Amino acid sequence: MAATQGRSSSATKGANGGGGFSLEMKMLIPVLALLAVLSLFPFFYIIWMSLNIVSLINGISFDFAGLANWTRMFTDEIVGAAWARAALYFVATVGLEMILGIAIALLVHELVWGQNLVLSLILLPMFMAPVIVGLLGRFLTDSSYGLYAFVLRELGIFESDILGTASSALPAVILMDVWEWTPLIVLIVLAGLASVNQYVIEAAKVDGAGYLERLRYIVAPSIAGVVIVALLVRSMDAIRYFDIITVTTNGGPGNTTKIIPIRLYETAFRFFDLGYAAAIGLGMLVFSILVANVFVRILESRGLAR
Amino acid sequence: MTTSTTGRNTGKQVILYAILILVLLWTLVPIVWMVLASFKPGVAQLSSTPVFVFKPTMQHYVALFTGGNLGAYFLNSVLAAGFSTVIAVALGCLAGYGLARSHFRGKQHVAFWIISTRMAPIAAIVLPLFILFRYVNLLDTIPGLIVAYLTFNLPFAIWIMNAFFMDLPPSLEEAAMVDGATRFQAFYRVALPLVTPGIVTTAILCLVFSWNDYAFAATFAGPDSQTLPIAAAQLNTQTGLNWGQLSAIGTIVVLPMMIVGLAVRRYLVKGLTLGAVTGE
Amino acid sequence: MWKQFSGTTLNFVSENTAPTTAIAANLNGFKELTGIDVNVLQLELGALVQKVALDIGSGEGAYQIVYADPYQIMAPYHEALADLGEFDSDDDLPSIPKGTDDFIPTQLAAAGRFENEKNLYALPYDCPTMIWMYRKDLFDKYGDQMSQDLGFDPQPSPSLTWEQYYRIGNWFNENQDEVPYGTGHQARQYDSLMCDFSNILWAYGGDYFHSEEIGSLGTANPGPCTLDEPRALEAAEFYKKLLSIAHPGSVSWDWNATDEAFRTEQVAMVPNWHEFAAVDQDPAESTIVGKIGYSPLPKGPVRNANMWGGTGVGINGASPINEQKAAWLFLVWATSPDTMLMGLKSDVGGGTPTRGSLYELPEVKKAMEPPTNLPNLLTYDAVSEAWRPENIGLRPKIQSWNECDTAIYTEVSKMLAGQKTPEQAMKTAKKYFDEAQARVENLASRPTRVA
Repeated sequence: MAATQGRSSSATKGANGGGGFSLEMKMLIPVLALLAVLSLFPFFYIIWMSLNIVSLINGISFDFAGLANWTRMFTDEIVGAAWARAALYFVATVGLEMILGIAIALLVHELVWGQNLVLSLILLPMFMAPVIVGLLGRFLTDSSYGLYAFVLRELGIFESDILGTASSALPAVILMDVWEWTPLIVLIVLAGLASVNQYVIEAAKVDGAGYLERLRYIVAPSIAGVVIVALLVRSMDAIRYFDIITVTTNGGPGNTTKIIPIRLYETAFRFFDLGYAAAIGLGMLVFSILVANVFVRILESRGLAR
Repeated sequence: MTTSTTGRNTGKQVILYAILILVLLWTLVPIVWMVLASFKPGVAQLSSTPVFVFKPTMQHYVALFTGGNLGAYFLNSVLAAGFSTVIAVALGCLAGYGLARSHFRGKQHVAFWIISTRMAPIAAIVLPLFILFRYVNLLDTIPGLIVAYLTFNLPFAIWIMNAFFMDLPPSLEEAAMVDGATRFQAFYRVALPLVTPGIVTTAILCLVFSWNDYAFAATFAGPDSQTLPIAAAQLNTQTGLNWGQLSAIGTIVVLPMMIVGLAVRRYLVKGLTLGAVTGE
Repeated sequence: MWKQFSGTTLNFVSENTAPTTAIAANLNGFKELTGIDVNVLQLELGALVQKVALDIGSGEGAYQIVYADPYQIMAPYHEALADLGEFDSDDDLPSIPKGTDDFIPTQLAAAGRFENEKNLYALPYDCPTMIWMYRKDLFDKYGDQMSQDLGFDPQPSPSLTWEQYYRIGNWFNENQDEVPYGTGHQARQYDSLMCDFSNILWAYGGDYFHSEEIGSLGTANPGPCTLDEPRALEAAEFYKKLLSIAHPGSVSWDWNATDEAFRTEQVAMVPNWHEFAAVDQDPAESTIVGKIGYSPLPKGPVRNANMWGGTGVGINGASPINEQKAAWLFLVWATSPDTMLMGLKSDVGGGTPTRGSLYELPEVKKAMEPPTNLPNLLTYDAVSEAWRPENIGLRPKIQSWNECDTAIYTEVSKMLAGQKTPEQAMKTAKKYFDEAQARVENLASRPTRVA
């Protein structure tokens, strides 16, 4: 860190000009070097680890194993199931967040009075630490003291333990995630709605177009780009966090909430099977790079990426 | 938004507000419940029918700060999140400006690489970072957490500041240079002040993400460097989860972030979408 | 001798159990004796294992005093724990009062050693044991009626069978409404489920491996897993049947939540750790003070089995040697007769001593009957019976136990969730056990380079 700061202060010496780097480059390169240390080094290290059997007792030791960890991963049904479940979790959370987010944004957009206040209130969940959201969710669904559990029981809708029953655990954690992140979608889509061309809307109203027609033919195409950005931004974080599940069910019951990050964490820090964990981790990294690729391409196509 | 006073429109507004109430209930009930619970005496917590009327008490907050070491956790959170944010924003401004104003082959790829580091799944990078930190003795230290948080704060800051700088027409800086300023002075005196909203937004978003972190702290922190979210997760005691103290910690963790987050609401959209969408 | 490390600060990482809570509340005694400050960090068992493993794996040694769970920490990581014999025989350091013979022998072996009698890795620190806790008042009230309906005397005792336990639990469900359910279990997909299930597995004659000493000293080569044998399958089928009439919250309860349910009158009886007696008899936390009875667990077709969950405290071999020696002072203090007696008397918890001599003291013997100021001793009759070698339940002390533990509680959880039949669950568990153990044995036999 000290070295980097030293380098960036030397960037103040002199302007650009022929030969050597321009000021902009001098500002950019040292920081990128730091980023490289933080990201590339771990990246190559993890590749090396995945090719070994790694042990941490009495100092780190490597035992070259070639592709053994990889073949094991591709035939491991627990890992396969964890990926499948992660896909389901991903589609469910992001899907619900998009649908509800757009709906609520449309709702808020139409409000006459108190839009600002309402929006501020709606945004609150997304500033909460995911781990707190998980603990709060556990509090609310606790069989003995939970407010929500109580209500569901009294209404006769659901009487078993919410987080302990295989059929309800996954939906419950999905809903907790949806509760936290829908506001993010609302915020982004609302911004898009605010920039829809008002004159066109007015003209359409004069022409007798109803709300749904206006929505379909004018609003939707107009906010399509924003919606896609919202989708990508949310997806980017959805594959990173697993705090909510860790702190509520930690993979249970019956592995119904064991998504791949949970299995990775367990393999690495409970079984200490580090080489294998590295292979699983790389799989996740590859997936996230693919998502990043899609994100950047779409931004580029809209002329927004630099 | 035009409003007409025809019956149909008022009817529509009524329905809208009715649905809105449901949405607000869904959103706010958990938060309100948590804050209420933090002031509820222990006995009222444990009753199997929810208690709404009770005599408020500060016992949980007191217990946390006296017995529970909470002051230390709070300080650790502030230090780790705070320093990481400051460093990320400072470096992010430099690199963001550099990226915005420079043109070189492969710039696309560099930009892609920057943002892809931000997207790395936490579970995957915790592992090599753990080994790395072990070797440079950064485990169980606040500086270690600061560096760990930089892995996502730094690319994030670069990307957002890049977006804000791209919005500035270079002509302003060029004008300054014509008047005799150096390139760096043009950056420092002209461009930087103009992106203050961006700086504030970036700072607050970095702060929120670091403050709320659980996975890194759970893996890298030790007895000397525990942060607030870890304290919350560790409240499982012999007599079960201490809901009173848990809601108190929850309230303490959540409230500051809500306040600062709402303070920069205007710029949140631009910040969170990495500049792809401009805010209201 | 005791003050030679004055001014040091030590970190003690422990599971969030009653004995540690008692010690944490009484650290002044240690500070006065030695001038050493101790920070106590209490965690849920799963989090504890991870924390210790990370600390050991990192070579940091930030936690000098380690709650060395014999199965999840000592077996896999014993090489990273200091050999206590060296400290004990060091003339400059205090030695164990009354020597190691004062510790109850089965507990010294299980908590303190691995594979052989050579090294001592931990001193026995606590000894929670699973017993049958029940609402004495309800059994008194309904006893006659139950007798008539069920055809046997339902008074809890180790001569009743698990099948009879099931019928008693069911009877409570259907014939009274003072408590919602007859029985509750710690059947969360977590270590607790393995504990609860193991009692029944053993009672029915099944086991994880058939290997001498695997439970007490442990072994590096247990042989093939035996969960697919008929008796294990029978146990699994019974367990599923039992849980089907239990309080539905059971599948999300660990031992803490199970006790909470018991002492807030949600269930009439529970198999749980005897140390919960203290908090169950505390009027501030429990509404059933004075109404509780204790018995060893019921028996199965083959034997009685009561899961032993004791632990030792050990010293982190990665810490600097001075800190290790300072930690030794803490170990000696924490397991000394005086401290254990203090723990018994503590308001905030405390367990039962691991030293045989303490049970002979007159004040302790007196406290075994109510009214008593040492509530954990009310369980003495039950636990002393449970500690006999033929009744004690010891799980495998093998290096791959973390993975095996995860495998068995995952599969049984799936069985309870209806996703697998008992037979599928046991067969899958066996497969994972064998794979995990094979990997560990492979690793141990390969020559490794240290980087």
